[in-house]
Amino acid sequence: MNELIAVSTGLFAGTITGIVPGAGVMVAMIVATPLLMHFDIIQLLLFYMSLASMVQFTGTIPAVYLGVPGETNSLPAVIEGTKFNKRKMAKLAIGICAVGSVLGSLVAVAITYGLLSVLVEHMTVFFSNATKFYLYIFIIVFCLLVYNKKNILVNLLLCAGGFMLSVPGESDISPDFRYTFGIEDLQFGIPLIPVLIGFLIVPTIAKMFSASNSNVFLPNIDIGFCKVIKYFRKKLIASSLRGSIIGYLCGFVPGVSTVLSTNASYSFEKKLHPNNPGKLLVSSETANNSGQFASMLPLLLIGIPITGSEIVLYSMLVDAGWSPFQFDNVANNADMIFRQIVPWFVVANIVGLIVAWPLARKILNVFANSKKYMIVILAVGMLLLNTYLGILDYRVWLYTICLLVFSCIGLLIKKYETVPLIFMFILGNDMEGVFFRQMLI
Amino acid sequence: MKNKILDNLPTLFVIMIVAFSFIMVFNHAYSETQDRVVLINSGKAGGSFNARTQMYKEGLVAAGYNVQFENVGKISQAVKMFKESDQPTVMVYANNQVYKQDLFHTESNFIIAEYQQPLYVCRTNTSKDKTGVLTVAHGKGYDPALLTNLLGDNITLVPYKNSGAMLKGILGGDVDMMVNNQGKSFKYIKSGQGTCEASDVLPTMVATVIGKNIDLQEIRKVIFDITMNLQFIEYHTSRKLVRPSSTWEQELALTQELEKGYAVK
Repeated sequence: MNELIAVSTGLFAGTITGIVPGAGVMVAMIVATPLLMHFDIIQLLLFYMSLASMVQFTGTIPAVYLGVPGETNSLPAVIEGTKFNKRKMAKLAIGICAVGSVLGSLVAVAITYGLLSVLVEHMTVFFSNATKFYLYIFIIVFCLLVYNKKNILVNLLLCAGGFMLSVPGESDISPDFRYTFGIEDLQFGIPLIPVLIGFLIVPTIAKMFSASNSNVFLPNIDIGFCKVIKYFRKKLIASSLRGSIIGYLCGFVPGVSTVLSTNASYSFEKKLHPNNPGKLLVSSETANNSGQFASMLPLLLIGIPITGSEIVLYSMLVDAGWSPFQFDNVANNADMIFRQIVPWFVVANIVGLIVAWPLARKILNVFANSKKYMIVILAVGMLLLNTYLGILDYRVWLYTICLLVFSCIGLLIKKYETVPLIFMFILGNDMEGVFFRQMLI
Repeated sequence: MKNKILDNLPTLFVIMIVAFSFIMVFNHAYSETQDRVVLINSGKAGGSFNARTQMYKEGLVAAGYNVQFENVGKISQAVKMFKESDQPTVMVYANNQVYKQDLFHTESNFIIAEYQQPLYVCRTNTSKDKTGVLTVAHGKGYDPALLTNLLGDNITLVPYKNSGAMLKGILGGDVDMMVNNQGKSFKYIKSGQGTCEASDVLPTMVATVIGKNIDLQEIRKVIFDITMNLQFIEYHTSRKLVRPSSTWEQELALTQELEKGYAVK
């Protein structure tokens, strides 16, 4: 019964979190803290797993319909999903993503089961600087060659801009604060949320507003679920399997995990099928779910959290009495994963599939009938989210100023894809440390 | 019966609201009569700062304090909050942070020296026979000159963000050695990939508790009782708690002396 409560609340929280653009698993965990304080260890793990899985399903809905990423790892879904929406095929996009996500999760479970002993032995390979170095090289090349109609100069400027934004504050390799210009709040760096809102969401809102007779919310062609399955089986299964495997491997990389999963898988598929939005979308979304499962394994097996939201979870697990000495026996932890976590993980994914499909239909109806209200709600919601997170971070003024500045710049460059900028901003600091260490090692 | 319940539903509802209000007012009044203290958590999950703050949170509540827990999780931000606080405030701290945070242990903020820990030098099994230049992982705040003095010139220093990143680095095969704190070094020993030795040359870390706008001697007694409380025995075991059984003056003098070792030349 306790497990059911944890999974149900996790699924509910995941549904809401995925739909609210800009909100992520970490934000949901923080908001749900009063509830989670009463959960035991297994309940916390199940809540997190259900939340994180469900977000992967419902996060696709605003990505496809609104062009707004539900999570930072939904960026490929935004790029390819909106192409479906323009052709009034949003329901097909949601459907293939949901089916792909279930397949990705099941593949991840199967790989883990099959390779558990190898995985436990070689888990540390993913901690190596060299692994991260080559992955980052791959990401930079990908950013330069894929976005903005392969305009390398524009992509280079965006990458440089993103990196510059990541520089102020504390670096990973030196003890001093840099480029803070005497502003104490800048010692902790430029906050992420205003950057995401300013460079991604504000331009999207502007585009939605300026499109006088936008097809964004026009009723879509109705496609049955069986047809989606058939289409998926015939055309997309190979891309989905590729995405599952790439996503699974990238899921182990600390810090970037599912962001890397989706984008590495997306770029690999883009090389194979550059003009097939269906394959690109399914590949990245499948990788997302597969990577989500993989990213939890270092925490569950050896007690090392590798993503921001896992750090929050870890903190709660420790508060609930989770002893780090539990990780002395990896075999026991593996047994716990397969006995207590995996069955609920499968259930969570099936519920995700069942919920995402009809929910998308309902949300579509709401969007179609109230475009202006949705834009206002979206804008006000983002403003409130920014202020709320600013207060939580004790830097509300910096958050507000950053939001204003980045929104203005975001509007000025709204015709460009800003994904390279976001990527370099999120990864810049870590990338600098990894490159510096690679030169020394 | 069903109708009767339905008829009386509004009355029941009003009674519930009144009862709830009474409970809230009572709780508020009760909390006002307790000694209030702001407890700042400056540590991240899994780290010793976090574990120690959680211990004091439980202990202070059990001792009858009305604890306002501020979960900041970033030491720079926590220190900023501590400096600006005008409330009775307590924060877990350590002497290895004083230069970077520009917050030193003084007579007006020092409460207790909880325990001391040496830094450890760990080496991978695979590098035992290596004769060339050795790569050494260290925290970005460490003094490179001190490490070179200790380990010789035939090393390449590789800076990492924090103790956790260093542990991942050495486990991932990036480096031959690392200089890390006790907790992470013990984890490394358990991995079986190498060995660690406590250094008697590198500065010693002293885990402390500091306070502000509060009677330091009075809260020191409470804090001491918490650290000695049997319910935190697991914490004691895991952290190898060795609190010096000395006076406040001696502990402050020791902490101030040892913190000089962290000055970056």
